[in-house]
Amino acid sequence: MAIHIKNGIVIDPKNKIKAEKMDLFIKDGKIVDEKAVKKEECQVIDATNKLVVAGGVDMHAHIAGSKINTGRTMRPEEMRVVRRVADTFRAAVGRVLLTAPAIGYEYAKMGYTVSFEAAQPPIGALHTHEELDAIPMIDKAALPVFGNWHLVFKFVEEKNIEKLKAFIAWAIERTKGFGVKAVNPGGVEAWMYGKNVRSLDDQVPGFNITPREIITSLIQATEELKLPHSVHLHCNNLGVPGNYQTTIETIKLASKFSNSKRQVLHVTHVQFNSYAGSSWRDAASGAAEIAKVVNSIDNVTIDMGQPIFGHATAMTGDAPFQFTLHRLTGAKWSNKDSEVEGGAGIVPLVYLPNNPVHALQWAIGLELGLLIDSNKVVLTTDYPNGGPFTEYPYVMAMLMSRKMREKELQKVSPYVQKATGLAAIDKEKTLEELIHMTRSLPAKILGLENKGHLGIGADADVAIYDLNPLDVDTSNEFEKVYKALKTAVYTIKGGEIIVKNGELVKEVWGRTYWVDARSKVDLEAVMPDIENYFQYYSIELQNYGVEESWIRMPERIVVG
Amino acid sequence: MWGEIMLILKPKVNFVVTVEAEITPELATKSLDEILNFKVYYGKNLVKLGDLFEVKKEGDDKKIILDGDFSRVKWIGCRMEDGEILVKGSVGTNCGAYMKGGKIIIEGNADDWLGAEMNGGEIVVKGNTGNLVGCAYYGDATGMSNGKIIIEGNAGNYIGEKMSGGIIEIKGNAGDFVGTEMRGGQIIIHGSCGFVGGDMRGGEIAIKGSFELLPAFIKKEEGLWVGDVNVKGEGKIRAIKS
Repeated sequence: MAIHIKNGIVIDPKNKIKAEKMDLFIKDGKIVDEKAVKKEECQVIDATNKLVVAGGVDMHAHIAGSKINTGRTMRPEEMRVVRRVADTFRAAVGRVLLTAPAIGYEYAKMGYTVSFEAAQPPIGALHTHEELDAIPMIDKAALPVFGNWHLVFKFVEEKNIEKLKAFIAWAIERTKGFGVKAVNPGGVEAWMYGKNVRSLDDQVPGFNITPREIITSLIQATEELKLPHSVHLHCNNLGVPGNYQTTIETIKLASKFSNSKRQVLHVTHVQFNSYAGSSWRDAASGAAEIAKVVNSIDNVTIDMGQPIFGHATAMTGDAPFQFTLHRLTGAKWSNKDSEVEGGAGIVPLVYLPNNPVHALQWAIGLELGLLIDSNKVVLTTDYPNGGPFTEYPYVMAMLMSRKMREKELQKVSPYVQKATGLAAIDKEKTLEELIHMTRSLPAKILGLENKGHLGIGADADVAIYDLNPLDVDTSNEFEKVYKALKTAVYTIKGGEIIVKNGELVKEVWGRTYWVDARSKVDLEAVMPDIENYFQYYSIELQNYGVEESWIRMPERIVVG
Repeated sequence: MWGEIMLILKPKVNFVVTVEAEITPELATKSLDEILNFKVYYGKNLVKLGDLFEVKKEGDDKKIILDGDFSRVKWIGCRMEDGEILVKGSVGTNCGAYMKGGKIIIEGNADDWLGAEMNGGEIVVKGNTGNLVGCAYYGDATGMSNGKIIIEGNAGNYIGEKMSGGIIEIKGNAGDFVGTEMRGGQIIIHGSCGFVGGDMRGGEIAIKGSFELLPAFIKKEEGLWVGDVNVKGEGKIRAIKS
C-alpha cells in the first residue's frame, strides 16, 4: 500500500532539510519519489503544520537477554504496572523494566522504530534473540561483548590481529550479533578474583595484557573487518569518582585510527564516566573536560546515559561495578557469570532529585548533551540504567530550553550548583539538532544507511508529531515540546501505520540485523583455538550460537 | 454489637471465581445508587457490586457488615483510613492491605496476606489466618509498619516478614519463618512456631510455646536471644515465662 504524507513540515538533517513544508511518498516499505506512486491510490495522511521526521533510533538500550530477564525476576514490584491488558494486542506490563511486548509498544508510541540491545553475553545469544523476537514494532540488533572474553585476551596477548579478526567474525556470526561491544575491558576478568582494573595500564590477572591493549586491538580488528559499527565501549572505572581522566585517556586511544565513513570508537553512557573528585563526598563534574576532548577529535562519538529521576535498574556487563553499587546503596543485587566470556550484575536504583549524587549525575548527563557538538553526541538513558527510554522527550526538551533547565534546577539538590557548570550553560540546542541526535546521528554511527533519514530509498520509518517547527518557540514552550514529542500522532514502520493519535493500531514485526564478516578471514586458522577453549565451556561447540533460520526476520549485512 | 448497622452486604451466589472488591467503610457514606454501582472485578470481568451482593443501607456512618461467606472476596478494607468492617464469615486474601486506620473484625478465618504493608488501625481475627500476615509484597522493602493484628486462632508461615512497626499477636500457633528480615515492631505468639527471625535486624518476637532457633542468634540471658548476626542485627527473640 502506498502512503502520501501531505503538507508536513519535514526535518531531515541527513538530507539537509531544515523544517520545510513538503510531501512524502511511501511505497513497498520505502520512501519513494512522487513519480513512483499513483496519487489516487495512496492513503493520504494530512500532516498540515505537523513535524515529520524519520523514526527514532535508539543505539544503546538493554531490551533483551539474560540480564534484563534476571532484572524482571528479581523485581516483581516492577511488574505491577499494567500498561495494557490483552486484546488485539498483547498484554504489556512494567513500570520501568518492561516486558518484551511493552518495549516495542512504548517505542512505537514515542515514534521510535529501531533499538539496539547494547550488551549481549555471547553464551546467552539464543536467549537474547528469542527475546528480541518477542519485541514487536521495531527493528533491532544485538552487540555481543568482547572485552573480557578469554579468546580475545589470548589473541591480544599473542599480538595476532589476523586471528583476532577471524575470531570476531566467527563470534559475530555465531551470536547473530551486529558489532563489537566491550564492557570494562579486563575488569570483569579481574572480578573473577574479586578485583577490578583501575587504569588503562593495569595488568589483567592471568594474562600479560592491559585494558589499553585490549581496546586498541579490538579497534584495529573492527576497522580491518570493515564492520558497519565501530567498537562500542563501556569504559573502565565506570561509576568511580575521578574516572573522567580514564575516560579522556581512553577517548585519545582512537586518535591512532581513522575511517572516512564514521567514528572508530563509540564511548557509551559517558555520564557514568564523567566524574571528577576523589570520593562521593567531593565528586564533581568532569563533563566540560570530556566535551573539550570529544569536540577536538574527529573519530569518536558518545552517547549520554542521561539519568531520569525516579525508578531505574542498573544492569551492566560490568560485574565489579554492580557489586560496588550494591555495597553503596544496600539494594538487592544479582551477579551473572557468562563462563569465559565475562559477567554481569543487576541492582535496583531510584534517582532522587534531592540526593546530591543523583542530582550530580543528572546534571552531568545534560552538560554532555549541551557541551558536545551535536554531530558527536547521541541521546540515551542507557535504559534501564539511567531510567526509562520513554522520557527521551524530557531530555530533548531540556537540551532545547534553558528556561526549563532553570525550572528543573530549582527542584534538585543545590550540590549541583557548585559541583557542575550546568546552571551557567546558556546553550540551547535546536529542534533540528535534537532530531539529528535521535535519528540521523545514531543511524550514521551504527552504519545503518537506510535508517534515520527520509531520503529516497530510505526505509519508510516515519514519525509525525503535533508540533509545528516553523511556529514553535522551543526555548519557552518546553511543555508543549515535551508533550508533543512524547506521543506520536502517527508512527509508520516499514510503510505501515502502526500508531495513530498515540494509540497502537497495528502490530508489525521488525527485522533483526546481523553482520557477516567472514569473507576475508581465515576461519580455519582460528578453529583449533576455539575448539580448545570449548573444554572450559558448559556446552559443546556444535550447540553454541544461533542459526539464522531460528530468527523471525533476520537481515544479514555482508561486509569485508 | 453496634447500636445501629449502617451498610450490610450479603453474597447473592456462591462465587465460581474470586471477586476483587476494594470495599472500605467509606462506601457506607455513599448513596445507595452509588453503592450498587460500585465497580468490582468478578474474575476478569468488571461488574457492579449490586450484581453480586444484596445491599442494605441503614444510615451514613462508616460501618459495614459483611454477612456470609467472603472467603473468595479479596482486598476487603484495602487502604481504609477509618470506620469499621465486621465480617460475619471468613474473608479472602489481602484483607486490610495497606490499611491506615479503623478496625476490621473477622469472625471466621482470614486468607493469606492479611494486613500486608499495613500502616495503622486494628484487625481482629476470631479464627485462623493463612500465610504472610503483615508482610511486604514481593519486591517491596517494608512490611507492616504500624497498627495491630490480633489472631485468636493459628497463623501460617511467613508472619511479619520485613515488618518495621506495630504488633502482631497470635493466640494459637504459627508456622515457619516468623519475622524474617524484621526491623521493628513486635510479634507475640502464645502457642508454638517453627523457625524465627532469619535476617532479623530489629524488633522483638516473644513466644510462649516451643520454637526453632537459628544458630545466628546469640543468647544474652535466660530466655533472650539477639541476632541475626549475619546481618549485624539487634532483633530480640524472647521466651515468655509461663
